[in-house]
Amino acid sequence: MSREPAVIGLGRTAMSIRPGGTASGLAVEALQAALADAGLSRADVDGLLVGSSQGVRPDRVGVTLAQQAGLRDLRLLEHVEIKGATTVAMLERARLAIRAGMARTVVCVFADAPISSGGGAGSTYARSGGNSGTRGLERASGVLGSVPTYALLAQRWLAVTGGDPGSLCEVALTARAWASHNPEAVQREPLDAEAYYASPLVSTPLRRLDCARPVNGAAAVVVSAAGEGPRIRGVGRDHPVRRRRAGGESWFGGGRRALDDALGEAGMTRGDLDVLELYDPFTIVTLCLLEEYGFCEPGKAGPLVSSGALAPGGTLPTNTGGGQLSGFYLQGMTPLVEAIVQLRGEGGERQVPGARTALVGGIGGRLDHHACLILEAA
Amino acid sequence: MSVDWLLDDSLAPSIEDDVLGELYRGAARGELVLPFCATCELPLEPEQLVCDGCGAAGPVWRPVPLHGHVHTVTVVHRLERGLVRSTEPYPVADVELASGHRLVLTAVAPGAPPSIGDPVSIGFRHLGGVAVPAFEVSVAANAKESR
Repeated sequence: MSREPAVIGLGRTAMSIRPGGTASGLAVEALQAALADAGLSRADVDGLLVGSSQGVRPDRVGVTLAQQAGLRDLRLLEHVEIKGATTVAMLERARLAIRAGMARTVVCVFADAPISSGGGAGSTYARSGGNSGTRGLERASGVLGSVPTYALLAQRWLAVTGGDPGSLCEVALTARAWASHNPEAVQREPLDAEAYYASPLVSTPLRRLDCARPVNGAAAVVVSAAGEGPRIRGVGRDHPVRRRRAGGESWFGGGRRALDDALGEAGMTRGDLDVLELYDPFTIVTLCLLEEYGFCEPGKAGPLVSSGALAPGGTLPTNTGGGQLSGFYLQGMTPLVEAIVQLRGEGGERQVPGARTALVGGIGGRLDHHACLILEAA
Repeated sequence: MSVDWLLDDSLAPSIEDDVLGELYRGAARGELVLPFCATCELPLEPEQLVCDGCGAAGPVWRPVPLHGHVHTVTVVHRLERGLVRSTEPYPVADVELASGHRLVLTAVAPGAPPSIGDPVSIGFRHLGGVAVPAFEVSVAANAKESR
């Protein structure tokens, strides 16, 4: 049996919270860095998968990236789009294509540049979304950007689970504790509860420090069956397909099955995972996913975070680069990049000793799409 | 034309050929019009073209009772310059309607936010000439509040 495809190259740009760069320019830079990291050249690439943010800026990357990056004669070229679950889906797609013999060396790229000279990322998101359909009605009702939507989820979750709102603070502090040891993180300065509660409310109960910090940046990985790197051991997907109705909840499962499938394929259990890299655009999502993925009983995510298990030195190291909250928000690439760093033992001060297995969790929409990836060190 | 208490006219929904056209046309008449499965009566999401319950195609839109209760609620403090006219934080609620639908709406007028579970009635704001449904903390909830 041939070897399982592995991630043999990783490249990323600087993660910038200031205006500068276009998504396509950043994507090319990350792609070239990934090839250099893998010791490959453009001519070795026969597959390109592109992920992009959902059109908050006009320069969204797409399949044109192949031309922009000077690639040619590809056997696989696609723009993958399932929102925040896209990165895991790209790796799954790359693996399938390699296994099927469609391509041998596939680069997966994501780039985003929401920060322009005209305004910060919050403003960019508040101004995007359009005036049509359900989103148009929501925007006409003051739901600008994605924070109010997750604030609604947080309020409901706290009410239903009887959770302590202080758990949101704990998640933010834990993410920052990891980020303080990550030179790539955009928010590294020490954070305590006092500073957290001094952070302005964006939409109750979420404060600015409950929200990820978008960046202009890009990341790319090279997937191949030849070469050394963390191996793709399992992938699981679940799309419960949202049907909002009276009597239903604001969360509706899917994550547990995605993780069960990924673990099943890898022949592992939750206890075999050395690091968890979860999609954490807002503190509430970390809490939801810990329960959704089955790392604790329903309603127990808050106490789990408070116990210190997720923090440096804890038994369940989670979002070890600071996550999207304090590290950088590059959608699904954030957890993937950190998983690769950990499995290559390149985490420096934040390295989890002996980390050999990692979960990369992706969510898309409003917990609409789940994609889980299990990686194992070479 | 009256000016909305909360938002700039540029956020008015598009009503030409919009999937929610029936809702906005109904709102202009003071009715809340929402989609149901023509066959099994299941309340549908506005974008749904096929019923997820029985599989029948072709939703029917019809007026629903103007009341429900709060599934969840937030108060938005970020007042995006140029888009938000209000100088004070404003409420946004996910409302479970008696019809079985759910809509994320703001309030008809400024005021204290409701709590989860509070009954609300549905009224309408006018944004850039488009009638948009909004919640109103119902008399029953006010009575509860004042006790």
